[in-house]
Amino acid sequence: MEALNSFLTRFGRIMGGLVGTMFQSGREAVDQVWKNILPFLAFVAVIVGIMNGTGLGTWIATLLAPLAGSIWGLLALSLIIGLPVLSPLLGPGAVIAQIIGTLLGTLFANKTLPLSAALPALFAINPQVGCDFIPVGLALGEAEPETVEVGVPAVLFSRMITGPIAVILAFLASLGM
Amino acid sequence: MDWLVQLAQGFIGIFQAGAEWWWAVFVGIVPLVVVLMTAFNAVIAWIGHERIENFGKFASQEGLIYLPFRYLLLPVVSVFVLTNPMAYTMGRFLPEKYKPAFYDAAVSFVHPPLGILPHVNPGELFVWAGIATGVATGYGDTAVTDLAVRYLLVGLVVILIRGIVTERLTAMMWKKASA
Repeated sequence: MEALNSFLTRFGRIMGGLVGTMFQSGREAVDQVWKNILPFLAFVAVIVGIMNGTGLGTWIATLLAPLAGSIWGLLALSLIIGLPVLSPLLGPGAVIAQIIGTLLGTLFANKTLPLSAALPALFAINPQVGCDFIPVGLALGEAEPETVEVGVPAVLFSRMITGPIAVILAFLASLGM
Repeated sequence: MDWLVQLAQGFIGIFQAGAEWWWAVFVGIVPLVVVLMTAFNAVIAWIGHERIENFGKFASQEGLIYLPFRYLLLPVVSVFVLTNPMAYTMGRFLPEKYKPAFYDAAVSFVHPPLGILPHVNPGELFVWAGIATGVATGYGDTAVTDLAVRYLLVGLVVILIRGIVTERLTAMMWKKASA
């Protein structure tokens, strides 16, 4: 009887812990959606509305379509976005990447762009990822000021090389899609 | 009077177009993201931070053999468990000369998993979801899953390359700066 009791107590405690963790995880998830995803969605919805409602979006999309439709165009896009003078400006909140991505999305929705362009496009719109955040990111890793001084240009120049490489890899990886 | 009505219609039409888009995305994406995020938040809570720190110390060692640990496994585990932006704190276990390369690899991994692991960076979901919702409409859900898996896998290769290239560039610039 005692063994059964202690078993039940332990079992109950474990189950309580599991449920508690799951519930807390759910709370965090909903919080994140509420605080981060929905506001951004609202902001993009206004932009999308203006673009779709006025026809401006179609116009920009037709400009982007030839660029996103070929591997050379995507490489050019990644080179431009990855320029060390531009990348820190285009980085914050990944807003630019998210808006270009959404615009390109409309071109995939109406099949103007082939499916095989999607993967290289994901990398072509994003060679600047984190370029605005290098000193902060390094500080979070407890880097010395000298490391930051060397690290910022090192990462920025690295992107000029690795940005286009990523697009080429993605292009190869989307063969057969 | 007619032209006033038309003007009003055009004006409200802009916002109706926005609302339609908002609703489609909200219904199409948010429920799945909430469920996935809940599951992964729980997994992270069960793993615990102590185990992650021990792994950080192990993966941060010098030498060529540890290269895939420094710029592949460590960034992946950091981003999965600590998410953006706390993942970069794992750089503290590395020698100074490797910190920029680790940051580059880690920050480059905050988007490629978004199709499967949205909890790593929910605030920037649309780097992935912008293109993915379009692909879903045009080419169907199977194509999106295919794309999500390939995005993740290519992301792994890209962060390793970024780590190696940035490590080399850091070493070159360090020499120049101290000369």
